[in-house]
Amino acid sequence: MSRYLLGRAAQSALAVFGVMAIVFVVMRLSGDPTLLLVPEGATREQIDALRHQLGFDRPIPIQFADYLWTLTRLDLGESVVQRLPVWRIVGERIPYTAWLAGTALALSIGLGIPVGIATAVWRGTLVERALMPLVLVGQSMPTFWSGILLIMLFGVTLGWLPTSGADDWRSVLMPAVALGGLSMATFARITRTAVIEELGKDYVRAIRAKGVSWKVVILRHVLRNGAIPIVTIAALEVANLLAGAVIVETVFAWPGMGQLAVQSIQSRDFLVVQAIVLLVSVSYVLLNFAADLIYGIIDPRIKLRGGTR
Amino acid sequence: MQRRKLLAMIAAIAMSIGAAAAQPAKDTLSVDLPGQPATLDPHIQWDTDSYHVYRNIFDNLVTRDAAGKIVPQVASAWTYRSPTEIEFTIRTDIKFHDGSALTPADVVYSVKRITDPAFKSPQLSQFDTIKEARLVGPDKVLLVTEKPYPVLLAQLVKLSIVSKAHVEKVGAEKFNLEPMGSGPYKFASWQRGVRVTLEANDSYWRGKPSIRTVTFQNVSDEATRIANLKSGRADIIRAVSPDQAQALKSESRLKLLPAATERIGYLFINAQWGPTADIRVRRAIAHAIDRKLIVEALYAGFGTPVDVVLTPANFGYITGIPSYPFDPAKARALIKEAGAEGAELPFTTSPAYDSRLVQALQQMLGDVGLKVTIQLTDHPTFLKRRQGNPNEAGSISTGLWSCGCQDADGVINPLFRTGSTWAKYSNPKFDALIDAARATIDEAERLKHYGDALRILYEDVPGVGMFQYHAIYAARREIQWQPTAGESFAVFDMKWQP
Repeated sequence: MSRYLLGRAAQSALAVFGVMAIVFVVMRLSGDPTLLLVPEGATREQIDALRHQLGFDRPIPIQFADYLWTLTRLDLGESVVQRLPVWRIVGERIPYTAWLAGTALALSIGLGIPVGIATAVWRGTLVERALMPLVLVGQSMPTFWSGILLIMLFGVTLGWLPTSGADDWRSVLMPAVALGGLSMATFARITRTAVIEELGKDYVRAIRAKGVSWKVVILRHVLRNGAIPIVTIAALEVANLLAGAVIVETVFAWPGMGQLAVQSIQSRDFLVVQAIVLLVSVSYVLLNFAADLIYGIIDPRIKLRGGTR
Repeated sequence: MQRRKLLAMIAAIAMSIGAAAAQPAKDTLSVDLPGQPATLDPHIQWDTDSYHVYRNIFDNLVTRDAAGKIVPQVASAWTYRSPTEIEFTIRTDIKFHDGSALTPADVVYSVKRITDPAFKSPQLSQFDTIKEARLVGPDKVLLVTEKPYPVLLAQLVKLSIVSKAHVEKVGAEKFNLEPMGSGPYKFASWQRGVRVTLEANDSYWRGKPSIRTVTFQNVSDEATRIANLKSGRADIIRAVSPDQAQALKSESRLKLLPAATERIGYLFINAQWGPTADIRVRRAIAHAIDRKLIVEALYAGFGTPVDVVLTPANFGYITGIPSYPFDPAKARALIKEAGAEGAELPFTTSPAYDSRLVQALQQMLGDVGLKVTIQLTDHPTFLKRRQGNPNEAGSISTGLWSCGCQDADGVINPLFRTGSTWAKYSNPKFDALIDAARATIDEAERLKHYGDALRILYEDVPGVGMFQYHAIYAARREIQWQPTAGESFAVFDMKWQP
């Protein structure tokens, strides 16, 4: 068990390091931030002077080593554009993103799994025909469009919800629905497939023959056996929610990490972009790690072991 | 009985509507900007969104009036002791928000702070001609420049005066997060990423601001800004595109506030590389561009066609400079004469520029027989190429240039002077003229030099001026305000219609 954990932890660290190295190099290869920071009319000497002061004239490996060295001291550096510690700039956005992604995840699981079960159990009936369009809409509407439609309907025409911002629970509803739509559809589809597959198995017929009610069969047996793919998808969906947040946060003026990432890329605020990528990749790796652990709890046959299989 | 109840209800509703209409006039203002301020320390960033917020918290050494003339603000008067020395008389009745008096020492400190290379201000290049700032009397400050620098006053329009004692006491980071100045509005709070709130400064030396509370929201999506305006969440929004502005015209509760800015939309033409090294090809390009069509079709009329690479809002703009009228037949003839039919012109551009304009120009030049290939890269890569050697810069590219100083020196100098990062052109006669215009503070003489310089640019065509850019705000109908060419957002000048 501990050997397995150690192995996974080393793999995870390697993955995070790889992501960091790629982002670091790509951000720098794609252009020199000094050119974006100086006024348009700056002379070559003024540009060179600022570049030197900011350390962007050093070779990339040296800049990267320097960055890693500051990281080992748990320091994310200082933003060149905003002149503030990066941990602070990113840190103040985390609660907003957690709030939005959490609500969207709750919505997509809370709706997606019941819809998946219902469309599997009542396959071919009116229930399925009524629910499938919901899944289809969630899956096929791009968020930048559904977001604007929601704003126009509930914000402008009906005036029920604030059109943007992050003031209270009413502000989070529309972005969470826009963001969670795709995940909801994914949960519904995966759950439906898993349940249908389990329903066709012999053990279901056996326990039904014992006289166990459908309710108990579905909730206690089928769902538990079908849970592995759902847990896998859940871990992946969190990553999708964080990525989707970039668009949704822009549309709804939600002050989370997605909006910060876009604005920092535009202003070439390197260290902030790197910190966001670091944070997102670490949380992605951790979630997959957590999913692995959960497999073992759901299905004790899966042994957590390292080494050869 | 039933009917009487109904009538009473209707009456009550009618009265409540009447009461709502008679409620006291609004005294708050909610502003939607496309970004959050990068910094509120006025000596660091000067992007449009930061500037929109902090220019309300601080006073500047001098300012511009509605007509664009440089007028006193913190300095009540100034005289040139010599072409390199200006003496400013500082007002003695200005107080910072903490109650302390604004002194000439604060002015000296502000100049020294922004020009200190160690402070690394991105605005440094606008002020680094200032060699020295010192007190020369109880209310007098002397600024000394290395050489005569006629644009200094225009640059000082952007110099915010900060309190030496306060900045030194709280430190740079806290000052950036909780700025304190002497302007018409006091900083109240900054919910970072969401909004900045300012409160009226009732002891402001120019009078009590009419609007009591201002909030600046960070709303990057244009459709969302418009939804906020329509739903009443925002009272005024910045950066409305011409298309959306056209659509907003039918909204009776809203109005558009366009301002002709000092931004010049121009086409750069590489005079030192490729087919455009031939002057006939450059002239043909100038003849092939239909400026009027561009302004009407792409910008819905929100733009002013111009003939030179300079806007009427800049000092040095002169009417009567000859220009190349739209004449495709003549363009074709010139291209034929140059033997450049079907010549390939790389058109470098980035997402920072209007892609519709790029495509329209590609079409217009294609119509006269040039083969234009658009080379789209990210903005830093574009800048690297455009500011690199002539053979890297491509044949043409569009630009939207603003120096923030409303002076020809900040436009045609960096764009076309030999050795500048942007210039792919060299003409010693042109260089001599703009150098002479920079070396004197005599306005009539400067105008004459710029007139001659613009005539040379007409002859050589290292670039083509296309239109003066209009910045568009949209606002509630009851807001009274006229935006200015300098894109400064003075809430002090705004009022709600009673």
